[in-house]
Amino acid sequence: MTITDPGVSEYLLCFADDEHLMGQQHTEWIGVAPFLEEDLAFASIGQDELGHAAALYALLVGDDDRAIDDLALRRDAADYRSCHLVEVDTGDWVQALVRHWLYDAAESLRWQVFADSAVTGLAGTAARAQREEVFHRRHADALLDALLSVPESASRLDTAFRHLLPVALGIFEPVEGETVALEAGVASESIAGLRPAWQELVVARFGPVDWHSITPPDQAGRRLRSADFAVRYARMREVNDLDPAAVW
Amino acid sequence: MRIYEVFLKRKGKQEFRHAGSLEAADDELALVLARESYVRRAEGDSIWLVDRDHLVVGDEEFVAPNADKPHRHNDGGRVAERRQRIHEENS
Repeated sequence: MTITDPGVSEYLLCFADDEHLMGQQHTEWIGVAPFLEEDLAFASIGQDELGHAAALYALLVGDDDRAIDDLALRRDAADYRSCHLVEVDTGDWVQALVRHWLYDAAESLRWQVFADSAVTGLAGTAARAQREEVFHRRHADALLDALLSVPESASRLDTAFRHLLPVALGIFEPVEGETVALEAGVASESIAGLRPAWQELVVARFGPVDWHSITPPDQAGRRLRSADFAVRYARMREVNDLDPAAVW
Repeated sequence: MRIYEVFLKRKGKQEFRHAGSLEAADDELALVLARESYVRRAEGDSIWLVDRDHLVVGDEEFVAPNADKPHRHNDGGRVAERRQRIHEENS
């Protein structure tokens, strides 16, 4: 099937915007990551996420680059459907790394629900993305394995983890159009239904968590942008705003 | 941190070739980082990483005494001449 239902569009837009924002955030580390090899690796992972976003946007508006750019970069802030985890400014590398882990653990689960999707092309996109996610997760785990063995690093990582965990829960907030999408066979599981599996991964990585004591941010069904979004969005659009008619 | 030497190989008969080196905290990290630093454009189909400390090294001083032995540089010319001479004598 092709996507005609606005609910299904809205549902897929949430994932596309998450991927887009996450990619933009990662690529900001190019040139300033803690060491050269990581600089390349992190920007590459960001590039992969931007590719995933482009593929999802293309499902919504077709392959025309201009249409994809319009959707990716020329919307009102209120029309974005990103979760707050991908919008927030992490400030330092420790938080960026923890977010990378938390996000990619969820992302892997999110692609799995499209394995038999009724949307033409989505299962193939998901399979390709999933192959990349295996590497993204391995990268995040390798860094955490190395850093958690050093007491000072472990302590800083834990602080970043405690800070970001509530924000990360916003990933799993039910989104508009999801019911329609599930009924139409677009996805095989709701986003909230992925949360238990993600929590298991989190506990296996970071240790026991008192989930009842953690409250996700108020995202109003992803209709509310976080405080950091405006600055991030201005940076994303910087080149586009200089010359909106430019052809790439 | 450890230093790893990176070797790449393409599919088929080509041998592993040295591509460079990188610094990483452990083997797994070295592997994931080498993937982005050395094969991000599929420059090879497989990759070897060797911890530099595990290399068995012969330095220049060790190799140098063999640099002055022209008699070991056999280009086959003398043997070819002899074969030619014998061939002519027998024909």
